[in-house]
Amino acid sequence: MSQEEAPRIGVFVCHCGHNIAGVVDVEKVAKLASSLPHVVYTTHEMFMCADAGQQLIRSMVAEHALNRVVIASCSPRMHEPTFRKAVEEAGLNRYLFEQVNLREHVSWCHMREPEAATEKAIDLVRMSVARAAHLESLPIETVKVTPMALVVGAGITGLRAALDIADRGFEVLLVEKSPQLGGHVAKWTHLFPTGESGAELLAPLIRRVKSHTRIQIMRNSEVVEFEGFIGNFKATVQDRKDGVQREFDVGTAIIATGFESFKPFGYYSYGESPDIVTLAELQEMPPRPELLRPSNSQPVNTMAFIGCVGSREPSKKGHEHCSRHCCFATAKAASDLKDGLEEIVMLYKSLRTYGKHHEDIHRLAREKHVIYSRFPADEIPIVEVVDDKIRIEWTDILANKRLIFQPDMLVLASAMVAPSDTETVAKMFGLTRSSDGFFSPEHIKLAPLTTHVAGIMIAGTSQAAKNAVESSIDASGAAAKAAVLMARGEVEIESTLSEVNPELCSLCHTCITSCPYGAIGIDESRDPPVACVTKAKCHGCGTCAAACASGAIIMKHSTDNQIGAMLEAYLCPVQETM
Amino acid sequence: MIAKPGGRKGSISTSSDTALVIGGGVAGMQAALDIADQGFKVYLVETTPSIGGKMAMLDKTFPTLDCSACILTPRLSEVSHHPNITILSYSNVEKITGRVGNFRVRVLRRARCVHEERCSGCGNCIDVCPVEVPNEFDQMIGFRKAIYMPFPQATPNVCTVDMGSCIQCDRCIRVCERDAIDLNMKDKILRLSVGVIVVATGYRLFDVSAYPRLGYGKYMNVIHALEYERLINAAGPTQGHLIRLSDAKVPQNIGFIQCVGARDVSKGVPYCSRVCCMYGIKNAVMAKEHNPNTEVTIYYADIRAFGKGYEEFYHMAETRFGVNFVRGRVGRVLENPENCNLIVSVEDIAHHELLEVEHDLVVLSPGLQPPRSLEHIAHQLHFEVDDEGYVEVQNTFLNPVDTTIPGVFVCGCAEGPKDIPDSVSTGSAVAMRAAIALLHGGAK
Repeated sequence: MSQEEAPRIGVFVCHCGHNIAGVVDVEKVAKLASSLPHVVYTTHEMFMCADAGQQLIRSMVAEHALNRVVIASCSPRMHEPTFRKAVEEAGLNRYLFEQVNLREHVSWCHMREPEAATEKAIDLVRMSVARAAHLESLPIETVKVTPMALVVGAGITGLRAALDIADRGFEVLLVEKSPQLGGHVAKWTHLFPTGESGAELLAPLIRRVKSHTRIQIMRNSEVVEFEGFIGNFKATVQDRKDGVQREFDVGTAIIATGFESFKPFGYYSYGESPDIVTLAELQEMPPRPELLRPSNSQPVNTMAFIGCVGSREPSKKGHEHCSRHCCFATAKAASDLKDGLEEIVMLYKSLRTYGKHHEDIHRLAREKHVIYSRFPADEIPIVEVVDDKIRIEWTDILANKRLIFQPDMLVLASAMVAPSDTETVAKMFGLTRSSDGFFSPEHIKLAPLTTHVAGIMIAGTSQAAKNAVESSIDASGAAAKAAVLMARGEVEIESTLSEVNPELCSLCHTCITSCPYGAIGIDESRDPPVACVTKAKCHGCGTCAAACASGAIIMKHSTDNQIGAMLEAYLCPVQETM
Repeated sequence: MIAKPGGRKGSISTSSDTALVIGGGVAGMQAALDIADQGFKVYLVETTPSIGGKMAMLDKTFPTLDCSACILTPRLSEVSHHPNITILSYSNVEKITGRVGNFRVRVLRRARCVHEERCSGCGNCIDVCPVEVPNEFDQMIGFRKAIYMPFPQATPNVCTVDMGSCIQCDRCIRVCERDAIDLNMKDKILRLSVGVIVVATGYRLFDVSAYPRLGYGKYMNVIHALEYERLINAAGPTQGHLIRLSDAKVPQNIGFIQCVGARDVSKGVPYCSRVCCMYGIKNAVMAKEHNPNTEVTIYYADIRAFGKGYEEFYHMAETRFGVNFVRGRVGRVLENPENCNLIVSVEDIAHHELLEVEHDLVVLSPGLQPPRSLEHIAHQLHFEVDDEGYVEVQNTFLNPVDTTIPGVFVCGCAEGPKDIPDSVSTGSAVAMRAAIALLHGGAK
């Protein structure tokens, strides 16, 4: 299609079931759209994203010779890829499509004001139609994918992911901060679910990772710089001992940086007696036939567990989530230890033995007479250490009584929290974090392992609190996502980049200092020198175009005339058909 | 129909670059996509007329309240347009022999009496069909025709004739412009050679009528959660209007009963079904969204809000939406014959009270069970299932999606109850393991 051709715009308004049509009068929106300049076709449909909706786009583009498509539906974050594909299948450039968000921006947030919502929907559609008339085709750019994956963290997740990618035939760079491989699991002297030690369990996996010709392991090392874009990242890895830095080209990355076990100072007298330990500390105690009190090395006869320590605390940032693994882990620990102990009391807020065989173990613990006692969420147990003795007082909900227990040892099931350096890692890789402190996935339901940064995956407990089995599943899943990219060999990237018009540039350096990605440099080959954009580094954020005082920077797909047209359509609506 | 797995030159066996995925739900679709995206061929076999599985029936999803159709439909079309994926819907895996690298599979392609390649899904035939029968997809609350598409976004987007209820009036044949309907179509056998097999057979809901004391099947206003999903769904039988089935009144006071057919040794379901707490809370929140003045109560044993964002959602349901939570297993549900309301008897064990609460709608939250078809597949493939009928894996920690049979992998609820994100992760994970097995013939 030539750019000079007069715009022929099709407007498709989506009901999204009840999501939009339940609030917005979609028929009215469609009707108004039909009166807008350049609009030659309008409709409203139940689900534009469904196959039938996509088919309709293809047919109508052909039937009405549409050269611009406006779809008023949900957020582009939801369906822009779907519609772009449909538009391309109809023979149009994907950048000749414009999406109006009538769901997140209208029906969902103005649910109780249907009339005002409809008015807003009409405004938005009018603006987008005006913009659509100014849309331009952009070339589709593809880039090669370097067939090497970076895996950050060598716990069970990182190991599993590295091995899968290597077995699939691609190179792996496995970077681990500590001197050992195996993460938390390797430290468990007895791995409760199977009776093995963590080290025993991981041994075959570690052996294969170490001997694999396609895996390069860097221990005592960390990634200190990471830049580039999908398929073409540059990772700088620094040895923590000698500070030597090395650069690697990688096509994709899996972040498996794991969790930190929360040290619950301020909770239940933790720190006041060596006999009060966290679940992680218990799991790491030296293995011996009988459990000994850390304080005096005497055998432990009585023991208590308290659940949800530092987890499930409303409005306490980083501690609101459920730590997921602890209910089962404590049930298993109590059930195993009960054989050698006189009494074990399990104090809990609620019990979440959700997984496969979890209830069996929970039942086994009760059959062994582990005493489960539920305390009210708003009245947590009081733990005191008096003369080196632990004293717990709490209200049992079922008995409706205050109870007292003086165990030899107290185990606190403390939270799984994001490691303290998570923010640094997030900044380096451009990742976002959820309210639980862990990294945000691309989509919480259907894309749990990919992120908003194309080419970077998250797996295991870097994504959320979870157990080792679930982490291992994530690992293979994230490895698949990386393998897909490397198997394809090349991927498409966005063409919405900025461009400098050398005729207008006065080289004032404003853009160079304002670019958050260091993507703008100076083209010395010209006389006089002008600013120039390194495509590969540009994220298309538009900061430079906004900052440029000479109007010398064009932000493609968000050009001044496209945005101006939207403003004009909003402020001075034209009603007559052209 | 001829099925030839695409072979690559130079490979030892043509079957070794093809995978079979059994089950077209969200886990099976993810597995198929992630295998196909790596350049391998995939046959995706689904017993019902459309892929999409149970997720396609859901209204909203927890914890973000994303509408299920909105996030699922792009996946459906991605699968159907993928050059490496062949969907065999309305088909059953009958027999499997062979081993990794060279499984031979016999698939029964049931006669849908519509030529898939000719049907455009225009629905003209549906309009003229005079026969109405209860729609399985709507949990038998709504109706469909004898020639039908289970839901608007059905994939493949073609009609199916239910010959059991068709009266052969030929109206559909006359109206079809593409000559796509053939009421004499016969079942066909398709023989496939594949290198690996992914079991993604999903789950079935526990039959809640096994608890007569809860009144399901006896009282019209006791429904189960999937029926509720269809009732609140815009594409459902009531166009999304939440009403009582007895008198079409809008319910003002709804009770949700949790753990129906879960964590109950006596009913053969000793395990936690893992999703009911969250979908129960989501359903309660949706009742408030539909009508903010509705009183909503959840009767539960434990609230298991363990996934990412779940605890926060639970908290929000209680504080922001004002859902009442009562801890206690419901003893019985009786009907008030005057107004068809339900009286729920329960011990509130947090407050030591015996309660009798009147609701005008009661929704039971059933647990999950393995589908009956899984037994057949397990028998064909000789892998182990556990006491509850779910697939056992080789090594829980190191190979959590590999079954005990090389080249056979499991994802989604076939291995045990899972929510959507966990099913999706296992789907991607099996794709990785399957791709490696395809490359190495199961040696790794």
